[in-house]
Amino acid sequence: MAIQINTSVKGKEYPPYRVRVERGKIKEFARAIGDLSPLYLDDEVAAAGPWGDIIAPPTFPITFRDEGADTGVLLRDLGVDLGRILHGEQEFEHFKPVRPGQTYLCRNRVTDIYEKAGKSGPMAFVVRETTVTDADNDIVAVMRGTTVVRL
Amino acid sequence: MQYAKVYAEDVQVGSEMPPLVKPPIQQIQLTRYAGASGDFNPIHQDAAFAKAAGMGDVFAHGMLSMGFVAQSVTDWFGVGTVRKLAVRFAALVRLGDVVTCRGKVAAKRPAKDGDGPYVVDLELWAENQKGEKVITGKATAALISRG
Repeated sequence: MAIQINTSVKGKEYPPYRVRVERGKIKEFARAIGDLSPLYLDDEVAAAGPWGDIIAPPTFPITFRDEGADTGVLLRDLGVDLGRILHGEQEFEHFKPVRPGQTYLCRNRVTDIYEKAGKSGPMAFVVRETTVTDADNDIVAVMRGTTVVRL
Repeated sequence: MQYAKVYAEDVQVGSEMPPLVKPPIQQIQLTRYAGASGDFNPIHQDAAFAKAAGMGDVFAHGMLSMGFVAQSVTDWFGVGTVRKLAVRFAALVRLGDVVTCRGKVAAKRPAKDGDGPYVVDLELWAENQKGEKVITGKATAALISRG
């Protein structure tokens, strides 16, 4: 039997949170993907490169998490178990490089919730947008993720 | 914000990305990716959990495959060139699967705001060893001019 989700979560903004990017986490992330570019991994090579230091790979901002605004919180708000979700879509816009040692402010909100029939039954689609800004208040990146809930 | 490998003059509409073939997916890579990304959903680690959830067995984080797709773009154009990357996760990637990332240039246009000076729109996809698409997507990258 299909479950009901709490669609009133649409529009909800989670408390903003700060993330400090650690050099070692950039390298760990690049290695986990198997992307061994020296501009992610080698401090000396990167020091002579265009940014004077390593930068993060394009999908690294997905690691910008906070217990007050993560998927666990969203699932509690929706009334959904972890085993029911899939990652449907993901988008990144990049405006400035993500650098080690920098602190970024993340603002995360639920922009849309809609339901439709999938191949294996009814599904709900929950869209979240996270805006990442730096100390100059410039937008560094915007992430949009769609979580699919098997109802 | 780029470290060019390919210049704007080197690619045209229809130019094909050199395929990026990743090693077969192993559980240890999913465990490493969980630690690196902070996504500890047991559906990627624990076969019993995945089975109880109706998924049969563990499968790869979609974000790991998206990381492969991002790498395919930066391997071609250079680190720091990606301005936008958007994907749909079309099928699950399972243990043992070999993911190949492919793409081609859909458009090339002058950049608006001093970036570039060219931006290139890419059509992207990743497929498994059976040729099934596991990701479809698009990217926009900024390329400098050779001149």
